[in-house]
Amino acid sequence: MKLTFKLNGKKTLIDAPGNMRLIDLLRERLELTGTKEGCGKGECGACTVLLDNQAVCSCLVLSAQIDGRSLITIEGAEKMKEAEALRTAFAETGAIQCGFCTPGMILSAAALLRTHRKLSAAQIKRHLAGNLCRCTGYSKIIEAVEAAAIKLKNGKRK
Amino acid sequence: MIRSETIVPRSLADALRVLIRRDVIPIAGGTDILVKLHDRIDRPWPQLIVLDNIKQLKKIDVGRGHIDIGAMATFTDIERSKILSKYAMPLVTAVSLAGSVQIRNRATIGGNIANASPAGDTIPPLFVLDAQIELRSAKSVRLVKIADFFNGPGKTILKSGELITKIRIPLSDYPGFFLRLGTRKALAISKVSVAGRFKITSNSIAEARVALGAVAPTVIRAAKTEKFLNGKTLDEATIEKAAEIVRDEARPIDDIRSSAEYRKNMVGVLLKRGLRGLMNGFVNAD
Repeated sequence: MKLTFKLNGKKTLIDAPGNMRLIDLLRERLELTGTKEGCGKGECGACTVLLDNQAVCSCLVLSAQIDGRSLITIEGAEKMKEAEALRTAFAETGAIQCGFCTPGMILSAAALLRTHRKLSAAQIKRHLAGNLCRCTGYSKIIEAVEAAAIKLKNGKRK
Repeated sequence: MIRSETIVPRSLADALRVLIRRDVIPIAGGTDILVKLHDRIDRPWPQLIVLDNIKQLKKIDVGRGHIDIGAMATFTDIERSKILSKYAMPLVTAVSLAGSVQIRNRATIGGNIANASPAGDTIPPLFVLDAQIELRSAKSVRLVKIADFFNGPGKTILKSGELITKIRIPLSDYPGFFLRLGTRKALAISKVSVAGRFKITSNSIAEARVALGAVAPTVIRAAKTEKFLNGKTLDEATIEKAAEIVRDEARPIDDIRSSAEYRKNMVGVLLKRGLRGLMNGFVNAD
């Protein structure tokens, strides 16, 4: 079916099977391989993308379900100030080990930072519960999200 | 991999017309069905009807004496609804504890009901809230009590051509709770869940409603426990006795998630927790 949607801010037209999983559309048809497939069952969050600014698992969305909607993947994250702040904070804090969970972590946290700038560690943990890091570097990830939140809050005041 | 083309109706009428065919399956948020299809990726998928573009199925409306929740309202929509926080707190608690942010952003109330899992987290709250569900086909519409909808795990009274279109909850602000146990807080299917709602007059229970999840082939009302609680003063002795009764009312099985014995005990523990919270004024505590 013919699909029209906004991908990382750009209007995109593609002819693809409506029941192709979004993650396959992204990785195989659009060659955006920043989105990772972990479990393929919505348990690990590695494939998280933002659909109309909401974090979703791209392994549990069909191409037909994104027609007319707006999508942000890790490749477009630099255009989103929350994701960009997180990218820097993850690097500075050392919140990256193997990096496989990082695109999903950043986009999940970006969705949270879009609506919340004052955050407790408990809120961050609850929000990121759907993103697994098998290197188990959670403390640094939470620190990085806290740092990005502070940076965004201070940036706003200036 | 053979995959037949997906149908994306723009209106409810169009969706119901397509549903007349027997070989199609409606997909709501997809958080259950796509997990099931993932395991059979090498075989042809059924033809799916995507319901995302039907706006009327996403509405949460207040009517005369009731709230109508569109079947495609997501767990996140329900979690954020002020009106549901006022009148349907056990349901709001249940959706906020389910899955993860990613799952709650996609999972819908209609899908959770249609999936008919005895562990479906929206179902015990809907039992104690006296919910009815609207089943609509191209030719008919009927409103059935949630308790009459399920026949067994994955089995319902839904007829071919019918779609769950809305969930109707009577307006009432009696206090209630929803409590669950899973292997971890996020993303675990409930081993046991208990929902309760109580009309309380001068510290005695005028009307009790208790529903149990994951301890029988379908969600069940704990009728004996309710009968015992009706008319009682809410105190520690009542709570202990109610927990004993509810343990015997549960009919769980041993499975990969838990054992029957543990589930029986935990039903009692969760009911005690809920009732104590109610007694101490902490309703809806999790």
